[in-house]
Parts: sequence; C-alpha cells; structure tokens
Amino acid sequence: MHYPLLLAIWLLPLAGAILCWFLGPQLKGAAGWLACAMLGLSFVATMLSWSSGTQHVAGHEGAHQLLGSWLPGFDFGLLLDPLSLIWATIITGVGFLIHLYSVGYMHGDRAFARFFAYMNFFVFAMLTLVLSDNFIGLLVGWGLVGLASYFLIGFWFDRPSAVAAARKAFVINVVGDVGIMLAIFILFANLHSLSFADVFAGVGSLSTGTLLAVCAFLFVGAAAKSAQVPLHTWLPDAMEGPTPVSALIHAATMVTAGVYLIARCAPLWSHSSGAQLLVGTIGGLTALAGAILGTAQWDIKRILAYSTMSQIGYMIMGVGVGAYQGGVAHFFTHAFFKAQLFLASGLVIHALANEQDVRRMGGLAKKLPFAFVAMGTGVLAICGIPPFSGFFSKDQVIYGTLAHGHPWLYAVGILTAGITAYYMCRLLFVTFFGEYRGDVDPSYLGIRHPELAGTAAHEAAPSTHDHAPAWIMSVPVGILIVPTITIGFLMAGGDRSWWSRFFAAQFPAGHVPATAISELQTTLIVLAVVVAGIGIAVWRYATRTAQDDAVERLRAESVHMPAILSNAFYFDAALDMLFVRSSQLLGTFFGRTLDPQVIDGAVREAAWSAGKLGTIVRWFQTGLLRTYAFLIVVGAACFIAYYALAGGMH
Amino acid sequence: MSGALPVAIGNYLGLSTAIFFIGVAGVLLRRNPLVMLMSIELMWNAANLLFLAYARVWLNNAGHIFAFLVITVAAAEAAIGLAIIVTVFRTRANVDVDEVHALRG
Amino acid sequence: MTALWWLIAIVLIATAVWTISASKPVYSVVALLAHFLALAVSYIMLSAEFLGVIQIVIYVGAILVLFVFVIALLSSGVASFSVGPNRMKKGVWPAGIAVAVAFGLMTWKLAGVVASPKVGGSLSTVPGTAGAFGSVADFGKALFTTYLLPFEITAFVLMVAVIGVILLAGDRSVHDPSPKRAALVRREMREAILRGGEE
Repeated sequence: MHYPLLLAIWLLPLAGAILCWFLGPQLKGAAGWLACAMLGLSFVATMLSWSSGTQHVAGHEGAHQLLGSWLPGFDFGLLLDPLSLIWATIITGVGFLIHLYSVGYMHGDRAFARFFAYMNFFVFAMLTLVLSDNFIGLLVGWGLVGLASYFLIGFWFDRPSAVAAARKAFVINVVGDVGIMLAIFILFANLHSLSFADVFAGVGSLSTGTLLAVCAFLFVGAAAKSAQVPLHTWLPDAMEGPTPVSALIHAATMVTAGVYLIARCAPLWSHSSGAQLLVGTIGGLTALAGAILGTAQWDIKRILAYSTMSQIGYMIMGVGVGAYQGGVAHFFTHAFFKAQLFLASGLVIHALANEQDVRRMGGLAKKLPFAFVAMGTGVLAICGIPPFSGFFSKDQVIYGTLAHGHPWLYAVGILTAGITAYYMCRLLFVTFFGEYRGDVDPSYLGIRHPELAGTAAHEAAPSTHDHAPAWIMSVPVGILIVPTITIGFLMAGGDRSWWSRFFAAQFPAGHVPATAISELQTTLIVLAVVVAGIGIAVWRYATRTAQDDAVERLRAESVHMPAILSNAFYFDAALDMLFVRSSQLLGTFFGRTLDPQVIDGAVREAAWSAGKLGTIVRWFQTGLLRTYAFLIVVGAACFIAYYALAGGMH
Repeated sequence: MSGALPVAIGNYLGLSTAIFFIGVAGVLLRRNPLVMLMSIELMWNAANLLFLAYARVWLNNAGHIFAFLVITVAAAEAAIGLAIIVTVFRTRANVDVDEVHALRG
Repeated sequence: MTALWWLIAIVLIATAVWTISASKPVYSVVALLAHFLALAVSYIMLSAEFLGVIQIVIYVGAILVLFVFVIALLSSGVASFSVGPNRMKKGVWPAGIAVAVAFGLMTWKLAGVVASPKVGGSLSTVPGTAGAFGSVADFGKALFTTYLLPFEITAFVLMVAVIGVILLAGDRSVHDPSPKRAALVRREMREAILRGGEE
C-alpha cells in the first residue's frame, strides 16, 4: 500500500506544468527544457518501477500507493499493474520524445512556455487516468485530459477554426463524460464501492441488464474519447493544433483512453456478451469507415487523423470482443509508429513553411531524405509488413475476433487492413515521389480553397523553403524508428511470447475454441490483402506514367471525389441537424418568446396591475371632507348591519 | 317624577335615531363647516337622550355619568373643531369645506 | 305626560331639521338653542334633573356662545356663501338610503334588548329630593366614587383641548420675526431676485 515512486511518476509533470505556467515569462526558452526534464524524470521513475509493477503481492497485482481516504472503506490510490505500467511507459516515454521534438518545432512561438505548461499538464492528467485505482480518479483524469486537449487544440486561439475545433472536441468529450458518470452511478448504487478491486470482485452480483447498461455507458465515454463512430467528428478537426499535440494527444495517448478503460474493465466485459458484441461492432465499423475516409483526404494531417481513428477502431474491436492482449498490443505498437508518422509529417510541414496539402508536395524523397525514411518505416509498420511492429499486433487483433466468435468482424478487419495499406502508401507516394508541385497553380491541382490550407504562419520568417530541420527535431524521430521496426518482436510467438507472459495474470487466456481458419492462415490472408492494397496504390501513384501525369491525375481525383466521401459520410451534417440546430431553436425560443413575453411579461403585468389598482383606489382620494365623512358612515352602517342581522347583540 | 316612562322605550329609540340621522345628513349635505359642527352636536345629543332614557328604565346611574362625560368631551371637541375652522378659514374668501381639497390623489 | 312628550318630540325633530337646513349659520345656532332647551325638558322628564341643568349651562351657555363668537369672527356667517360647486358625486343618494336602512335595522333590533339590573338609587315622588335617582347628590356620589378615574381622565382631556385651541388659533405674532428682522429678510430677497440671472 505504499510505493512513493508512484507519486514521483504522477506529480513531476504537474510540477513542470505549474512552474512553466507561473514562471513562463521568466523562463522563456528554458521552459521547454524544464518540461522535458520533468517528464524525463517521470519516465526514469516509470522505468525504475518495472519490477515492482509486475510483481504479485498476496493476490494484489503490482504496486499500490494510497492517496487518501474519503470514507471508511473507500480509499483513493494509485495502482501500477501491468496494464497501467504499459500505458505509463508510453505516456512518459513517447511523451518525452515528443516534448524534445516540440522544443524545436515551437521555437519562436510567442506562447512557448504556455505550450509546455499545457503539455505537462496533459501528461499529468493522462497519468491520473491510467494510474488511478478507482473509477472516480479515472473520471477526474478523463475530464482533465479533455480539458488539456481543449487547451492544446485551440492553442493558436486567434484562428477561429482552431477555436471551433477545440470547442467541438470538448463538447463531444463531455458527452462521453456523462456516459461514464451514469455508469459510475449505476455501479455505486449496486455495489456501494468504486474502487476497481471491489467492483470487479462484485461483478457476479449484477444482473445481465445492469451489467449491459454499465458497459454501454462506459462505452459511450470510450467512444467519445477514442473517436469511435458516431462521436468521431472531433478528431479530424483536432488537427488544427500544433503537430506535436496531434502526435501526443491524438495519436499515442489521449485517444487510447477508451481502449484503456475497456481493458481495465475486462472483468465487466467478460461477463457481458451483449456488451462485447456492441463494442466489437462499433470498433469494426469505425475501423472500416476511418479507412475509407482516409482514402479521400488531401491534408497530410487529416489522412493521419483518419488512420488513427481506424487503428483505434482495431484496438476497440480487439478489447471489445475479448482479445485484450491483442488490443493492448496494437495500442503499444501503434503509439510508436503513429507518433513517428506525425513527427515525420511535422518535419515535412516545418520544412515547407506550413504547407499541409499533399497535392502541393511531391519529390520530397530527394529534398528531405530523413523524413522520407522515417515516414517510410511508419507506413510499413502501419500496413503490417513483417518484421515491422504493426504486423504482429494487427494479426493478433484480427485473429482474436475470429477466435471469440465474430466472423463478420474478422472479414471487416481483413478488408480494412487492405484499405489501410492502400491509403497509407498513397500518402507516401504522393508526398515523396515524382516532381515537386509546390510552384504549380493550386487550381490546376484541383484545390478549391488554397487560402484555407495549412496552419497560420506562426514563425518569424516563413519565406525560407528548404531549410533543414533542427537536430532537436530529428533526434526523437530517429529514436522512434527503432521501436517502430523492432518492438513487435515482444509479441512474437503466440502464448510463449514475452507479451503473453507479461499479461498472463491480468488477462487470463481462458478457453479459446478451435477456429475454422488457423492463425497462420489468417496471417497469410492479411498479408495478401495488404500486398494487394499496396499494389493498387503503386499502380495509381508510383509508376513512371503516374508520376509524369501527377498533376492531371491529382486534379481529376480531386474534382471527381464523390460527395459522400468529401463530406465524411455526412456525420457532421447529421450531428449538426440533430443537436446543434435543435439547441439553437430551443435557445431562440427561450430568447425571443419565453424570456421577453412570458417572464418579462409577467413582471410587466404585475407592475401594470399594481398601477391599475392604485388608479382604482385613487378614486376614493377626492380630497373632500364630505366624501370621507360619507365613507365613515357607510362603514359604520356595514358594522351595524352585520350585528343586526348576524345577531351579535348579546 | 316616579312611575314608568311617559311612553314606551321604543319611542325614545325612534326619536333618538331620527335626531341622529338628521345630524348625519347635516354633516354630509352641508358645506359650511360651522353647520357641520352643529350637526355633530345633534348626533352627540341624540346619543345622550338614549343614554338617559335607558338609565331611567333600568334605574342605573351609569347612564347619567356617561352622558355627563359625553357632554364634556363634546365641549372639548367643539372647541378644538372651532379652533381648526378659525385657523383654516381665517385667510380664505369663502367658508366652504369643498374648497379645501388640496390633498387629493 | 304623553302629550307633553309628543310635543317635545315634534319640537326636537323640527329644530333639528331647521338646524341643518337654515340658509344662514346664525339661524342654525338659534334653532340649535331651541333644540337644546327642548332636550333639557326631556331630560327632566326622565328624572335626570342634574343633567338637564348641565345641558343648559354647558351646551347653551358655553358651546353655543362659542359658535356665535366664531361666526362673528369669520364674518361671513351672515352673508350668503356657497361659492364653490358641489363636488360630491351623484352616487351618494342610493348609498344614503342604504345607510338609513342600516340604522333602521339597528333600531329595530335594539328594541328587543334585555334589561340590565338596577344599581342606582330609588325614585322619589317629590322633585328635588336629595339622594333620589337623578339628583345632584346621587350623581355626585357615583361620579366621585365608582367613576373617579373617568372623571380625572376627562379633566385631562379638557386640559388638552384648551392647550390645543391655544396652539391652533392662538396669537401668531409671537412666532413672527421682529419687524427689524422681517425688513432685513425682505431686502435680502429683493436683492437676490435682482441678482437673479447671474448664476
């Protein structure tokens, strides 16, 4: 019950955030190094905790640190078991690399210290989420992460599109918060405790309907945070934030909070097949939808955003159907290669002075070779080419759906793998192959609104074209290449892999029935589909003729893009119609009708009636003595009449 | 003067009521303040008559005492009323209570 | 006796009506004088001899004299008045009738009231007998023993009335400023008006 290193892991980023916030003007450039140092120390502490985090002590997993007691028998604490350890490692490790990158990327920005204060605050919030040992701490972390995301998406707040995107993200996240709160209410009403240990021990006492309701509400929260259909519309818009933000929050960590939640509540899901079906289906749908939409994007960060959505769909599908190890494995590998992809794209964007439209790129393989290599490894990993890391984890997820009895999701997973390969290679080819198209007139390329492309130029001198990226930005990218390629080997070898043994106690394997298609056959099928996807991409964008005709082909593709794809399956329009319009109508009703006419009207009528009453009573104030005398007589007569008739004489 | 009343007590009641009502009418219908005060004196005296009639019927002294007090208070009231009239109407051209209507709403 | 009572009753009613309807206040005063005298006779018929005399002494001798003095003071008691228009509303008449009905009801109800027990002294056949009901001695005994407190309070009321009269209608000149001061104030006001538009 006592493990102070957890406090260090948890609180060092908070200290960094507070220092950067309050001493920002004094620190100036040093704020970046301070934030990196704090996060680096936190990462070191996490690494030191590995042995404690994986131990079993008297039936308790991992290391535990008590924070305080709320009521007798209801304690708040931090828990470091294999699951939260994996997440904490990614958060502090990848986060540290991204912080280093940001020192270079955000150089010269006038709110430099504020950026690092927000980034450290985000890390602290995310650690709160994953290190809590009870639902309340998780909810607190959940909300704080949403807040940090709002701050960071809208970091350049003089851009109205950024502000709108931040607001949209926050509102959709609040919908998720409500879902989690409802689940917490139900759990507390039934089990009278909110710590994970107590809740998971008492799962058997919940009825099927109650459990399904709890899981459904928790999934609403997970869907909002992890951008699952239909609560995904905030993620593409969230690319308005700086690229390091997109890398850290919207690729590696925050959007995986939903996956963490479901993996953490594995005992709940294991007892509810209805919940498993729901979550798996939504995950699969999201994976497919994200992939299809990814083929239709032209902004480099939006392509990566939709690919994030799709890959998170894979993870959700995995942990939803019960393949917890597979889902978490895919999270682990995805964190590395997605961060890699975002940071590499950031190198490209930075070098091209904030150009983000891929139609205006091209031929960068010769100009930015390091970025090409980095992006290439990321693309290969996400496509699932062996021996890159994505290959191992994605197969585990896809096979897991079949092993747990969901053949339709299996098919969806395979199809999505193919589409993923196609559009990621499309990104690679269009960006790096062929001739540089930056000086071509945008309308030739089919760009309708060139002024909307890219983020605002926040650097002092945007005129330089091919300036090489600073070393501080290249080093993290280089470091990330290693796990992108190699980390998959932790998961190689099925039940004998290091990964399986690591999670053996957390996620008991259980009975896995024999499947029609073996794991090896699954691997081969997926590989075949992936190769097919790559082949199509090569044929469309990478052949000699394709490169020569690049301008015409891109233009044709832009102009003939089906409306349903360019409007993202009309999700935004539907949500707007359903919720935004109705709220506005309600507001208009209250503002124009109810408030002025009913409420103000009531007040006005009260005043008018008071005045009217006064006018009536004023009739008696004639000022004449005789009138008053007359009224006295009338009053006396009334009294007399009453006594005479009512018999009060005696 | 021993013996019963000259007439039934009801006659005294009627007479007293009539004088009282005449006094009320005088207060309400006349506009000269002095006549109004005199009408009020009529009302006082009507009440006095009734007090004394019943004192005689019941042979109770209290009626006499009360009538005496009524006379005293009526005198005081008349004095003050006349003082007010003198004060208000000393500087006016007409002696008419209807002209004193400044306090109207 | 009954005929006398009816005569007195007629006189009372007639003088009351004349009081309220005389065109000049002096006539009203004279009518009221006759009314009071008739009342005094009526009181004596009711064995209230002391009060009958008091009626004449105080009402006629003091109050009516006061009225006459005030009429003289206002100096329009002889001339015709009725300058302003009648400002009472027309709706007074139906209400007035209702008032009459109410009073009639009271009278009718009063007729059935139960008698209260005797407390006073006994009647005597000879008028002016000391100690008889309605005599000075009887009245005085009651006034200074049983009803002493109301008597004292009444004395207080009279004192207040006297003070009030003096304050209301008394000598105003003691409150006026001295002639020298009044002249000073008048001169300053004139100068202020002449200076008027400078501010």
